Amino acid sequence: MLKALRLAKREYIASVRTKGFLVALVVAPVLMSGSVIAMALFKDKVDTTDKTLAVMDRSGLIADAILLAAERYNESEVMNEEGEKVRPAYRIEVIAPDDADRLGQQLAMSDRVRSKQLHAFLEIGADVLAPTEENDGGVAYYGENAALDGMRHWLRWPINNELRRQRMTAAGVDPGSVPHLFSWTGVEGLGLFTADETGDIQAARKSSEGEAIGVPLIMVMLLFMMLLMGAIPLLNSVMEEKTQRIAEVLLGSMTPSEFMAGKVLGGLAISFTVSAVYVGAGLIAVRRMGVEQFVPYDILPWFFAFMSLAIVMMGSVFAALGAATNDPKDAQSLTMPAMLPMMIPMFVLVPVLENPLSGFATGMSLFPPFTPMLMLLRLASPQSLPAWQPWAGLAGVILTTLIAVWAGGRIFRVGILMQGQSPKLGEILRWVVRG
Amino acid sequence: MTSVEIRGVTKTFGDHRAVDDISLAVPKGSVYGFIGPNGSGKTTTLRMIMNIFYPDSGEIRLFGDVRQGAATHRIGYLPEERGLYKKMKVRELLRFYGDLKGGDDIKRQVDAWLERLELTDWADRKIETLSKGMSQKVQFISTVVAKPELVILDEPFSGLDPVNADTIRQAVLDLAAGGTTVIFSTHDMAVAEQMCDFIFMIYKGRKVLDGTLTDIQDRYGTDTLRIRPRNGKPPLDGLPGVERVHDLGRMQELRLGEGADAQAIAAELLRRAPLQSFEIVKPSLHDIFVRIAGPEARREREVEHA
Repeated sequence: MLKALRLAKREYIASVRTKGFLVALVVAPVLMSGSVIAMALFKDKVDTTDKTLAVMDRSGLIADAILLAAERYNESEVMNEEGEKVRPAYRIEVIAPDDADRLGQQLAMSDRVRSKQLHAFLEIGADVLAPTEENDGGVAYYGENAALDGMRHWLRWPINNELRRQRMTAAGVDPGSVPHLFSWTGVEGLGLFTADETGDIQAARKSSEGEAIGVPLIMVMLLFMMLLMGAIPLLNSVMEEKTQRIAEVLLGSMTPSEFMAGKVLGGLAISFTVSAVYVGAGLIAVRRMGVEQFVPYDILPWFFAFMSLAIVMMGSVFAALGAATNDPKDAQSLTMPAMLPMMIPMFVLVPVLENPLSGFATGMSLFPPFTPMLMLLRLASPQSLPAWQPWAGLAGVILTTLIAVWAGGRIFRVGILMQGQSPKLGEILRWVVRG
Repeated sequence: MTSVEIRGVTKTFGDHRAVDDISLAVPKGSVYGFIGPNGSGKTTTLRMIMNIFYPDSGEIRLFGDVRQGAATHRIGYLPEERGLYKKMKVRELLRFYGDLKGGDDIKRQVDAWLERLELTDWADRKIETLSKGMSQKVQFISTVVAKPELVILDEPFSGLDPVNADTIRQAVLDLAAGGTTVIFSTHDMAVAEQMCDFIFMIYKGRKVLDGTLTDIQDRYGTDTLRIRPRNGKPPLDGLPGVERVHDLGRMQELRLGEGADAQAIAAELLRRAPLQSFEIVKPSLHDIFVRIAGPEARREREVEHA
């Protein structure tokens, strides 16, 4: 074991000294936080060019309301308090619908949009007040990027408010007699009440998107990055030692198991260093920003436990595959399938995060190769998991890690001295069975 | 007392039997040379001694014990193809390899060897900046720096210029003089003749020679006439009793058949051309090697098989 530690130390020092390591250590978090800052900075940077909308109102009921709403919007929303223009003003151009040549008019309007005379055009159906599936009751917004168009979102309010107002009037109710008829009430998201050590009841905390999505995602991304830095490079590193015949020199001094253990422990040490730096820097930043209440201190031990096991598990597999390959092309083609246990959890992050207690989330997170990332994601989400699940997941990962180390060791021992053509998957599996 | 004892060892890779029922005993403190054509099983045998390969059958004892899996700190191993971390500095690398072996006083040993092999100025340079000869010297130091009792060197002199080859050769002989057992493989028959107490030849996986040089030569008898012509090579055709001529350029070796009269042949040669010298000698190791593994021997075997 001492020899494995000596090799691990060499691996660690050799990696830490490289420029790539420093880049990963410093530049990666700077880039990541930089992109968050950039997103925050550019969030309000919208195009303030005025937008003209042509309205063809076949019902004759809504166009005036839209005109009025646009006027109000332009008065109150376009300028900020300092008198700077922060949003585009909306110009409404009411056009008489041409029922004789509807298609021809639609094409002509589309051409005006394409030539930038208009931002978009709106068609309001004749039966909009009482729409059914059969009649002309729809409202259509035609634009070059209609799906993501902010103006389309805004239009929903004046159109629907006007329709409600007219329906109430038709029913004999004076909308003016109902206060707050059109006020919208949101539903605030809050956590749960807790009792502290003294028994005092603590008020529920406002549940933010940052806490519900940000914290779990950061944890999982960090684990993913650690696997990228600690486990995956072992494939190339072992393959290089094999092709440069360093492996044979090392095997003159240590057993294949010690050799593999040294490589994996080196990867683990690198991951611990980087994650400690990231977590430490993250904590300092969070305290400075005054949002320390979002830090899930109780999850950190789980993070380090799952990270260690995931790196040993995946590292053994990658080291074994490195020992089985003889050239970078083979190594490259093996990297993708071997990364699947890390990639699949990334594909299901959103459904698991949305419903951490669903059968799907529970099942996926208890499948050992996915457990480190998905159980961590569920643990970091605001919902409480059944207490047995993280422990069952941990037990499964420990068992799988032991199997991976054992099988990886067998592949490593046979593969490390095998030259010539790289073996096929079937042959690698035979090595595992026969040893 | 033997350092290495191999008993009936066989190793097969797929359908190819690389080593076939080999037995061998390497006395402690001896220099044992492994010779044989490429692909004959030398490296496989050395790797089995190192426990890098496991024999399919048979037994290998080191220092009297059956090997039980663990590589030992008592053996230094120089593989045929050199393996050094290119990005490491020379001194740092040697300390790492020495520490892996668990040797004592590695720092001092490294410095002493660097000085002895004239590499002190390169101690803080990266391996990738060294010439091939220097790299080979570094690899040699890494093999011996932990003071192993047994040193196994696979082709230690290949690719070295004469000066560096001499340096390594002297270092090997000094180790042997200090009681270290040395096993090395070589294609250079002259080196094997000069350095080895015992010579072991493996051919197509089987042992074909094993003993001291004198023992081996005695087995072939005094059947070689070595001549050095004064003015270029004389005509050597039709000499009675000469089975084969080995032309070494300025010197020729004539293998004599059974019952051939060496004096008569010498007299005939003198009639054909003036000679600077001639001597009746035992066959050289080179000649013995060629007799076993050369094209002529192969053809003879093919005829026998047919």
